[in-house]
Amino acid sequence: MHHENPILETRNLSVSFDKQEILKDISFSVDEGDVLAIIGPNGAGKTVLFRTLLGFIPFDGKVKWREDAQIGYVPQKLFEKAELPLTVKEFFILKSKNLFFKDKRLIESIFHELKAVGLNQSILNQQLVNLSHGQLQRVLIAWAILRHPNVLLFDEPTAGIDLAGEDTIYNLLHKLQNERGLTVLIISHDLNIVYRYADKVLCLNKEGICFGEPKKALTNEQIRRLYGESAFYHHHAH
Amino acid sequence: MAKALFTIIMPIEFLQNQQLLLIFASGIFIALAASFLGAFIVVKRMALVGDVLSHVALPGIGLALLINIDPIYGAAAFLLIAAFSTWFIEKRTALPPDAIIGTFFTATLALGVLLVPNEELFESMFGNLFAIRFYDAIIIVITSIIIFVLTLILSRRLTLSIAAPDLAKSIGAKPDTSYLGFLLLFALSVALGIKLIGSILMGALTILPAVSARNLSWSLKSFLSFSVILGILMTGLGVIIANAFNFPSGPAVILSGIIFFIISLFFKKS
Repeated sequence: MHHENPILETRNLSVSFDKQEILKDISFSVDEGDVLAIIGPNGAGKTVLFRTLLGFIPFDGKVKWREDAQIGYVPQKLFEKAELPLTVKEFFILKSKNLFFKDKRLIESIFHELKAVGLNQSILNQQLVNLSHGQLQRVLIAWAILRHPNVLLFDEPTAGIDLAGEDTIYNLLHKLQNERGLTVLIISHDLNIVYRYADKVLCLNKEGICFGEPKKALTNEQIRRLYGESAFYHHHAH
Repeated sequence: MAKALFTIIMPIEFLQNQQLLLIFASGIFIALAASFLGAFIVVKRMALVGDVLSHVALPGIGLALLINIDPIYGAAAFLLIAAFSTWFIEKRTALPPDAIIGTFFTATLALGVLLVPNEELFESMFGNLFAIRFYDAIIIVITSIIIFVLTLILSRRLTLSIAAPDLAKSIGAKPDTSYLGFLLLFALSVALGIKLIGSILMGALTILPAVSARNLSWSLKSFLSFSVILGILMTGLGVIIANAFNFPSGPAVILSGIIFFIISLFFKKS
């Protein structure tokens, strides 16, 4: 079954903006139920890769999702526009296919997903702008898994979540992956997470530098190539 | 007592005079559509665009007067073109919308002042209660209701597109299309208010209720509701004041809106 029908396959994927190459010749595939970690230094094109996989950006090469793939997306951050007085509940309702009328089934699913990400229902009446980083992260995950997609794209925030909080976010993702058989693509900044949770890793610095099982693909040599000498020690420090 | 108070704010002549009643109703419905759309303009940080877009109406009014058709149609045509251009230029270039209007819309104001005959200029810019005839009132009320309903249908997608365009795309919505639809509805609602409020001040009617409402609101729903309620209140009050003191209606409405804004400041949650 493995390798026969991957849920995502990309071949020779390239993206450029204004003649500047952002991604070059990226090839990898993801099997159903796997966790793929995408790592690389700042500006390596990780978020661009996600946005390309989601179909937001024109590209060269091939991106092929399996026909039954339904994608939930957790962006790095939500918005900077504090002018919008959205409550958490209203934010969820925006996902309704129903443009105007009440969506009773959606509301029931919201309760269910809140529980799944470990949030209390009382958060529903709070405004999004008043949430802590950790709470917002969970709300975004709940939003993404609402209506049960089978693939989750998780763009990890670079800052703002303390280590304890980060740890539980990964436990949470791991739990969701186990319970729902979710395929997870995660942009990560923490190599420990990659070794602990990922089935495959894709190292990215405009081009794909390595791809495979973390313990095999992610050698010290590759990490040095990816981040440079100083970053190597930094990443092993914790 | 209540009846006496009512007679002061709502003189009997007002209720007996059919034309005044029509004007009053037109004002209410103009405010209904404009302040609802204005709420989205404010949270999209386009207040300046919303404000100055109405200036584009002036050359449209001028041309309409020249070829002897109702100014509302000239205004609507110019506003719709301006709204579409804003969308198109913003999509094609990296220019922010306020740069587009700063250069382009202001020029149309200059052109408009030259095109509109002197005797019509003041009223075109600042509005006139009695420019509204029976036929206008019917068009204003019906079109406002249609705009309001369409905006209501668009509002979930539009809000998501404003809050998080990528999330909107990730569920298959088209932020670009909702934005264009929104701008066109907005332009149309501005056109409806041109006769009553005038091309200089109509933009302010869309913004003022929303900024006041933002101070009072705790959720999207309360924000949109307050915006519409305040829009209707300020326009209603403005029309009554304009009639009572024989003021041009645009300034009367906008100044009564400022009163509501100042009151809203005292409710602002930090």
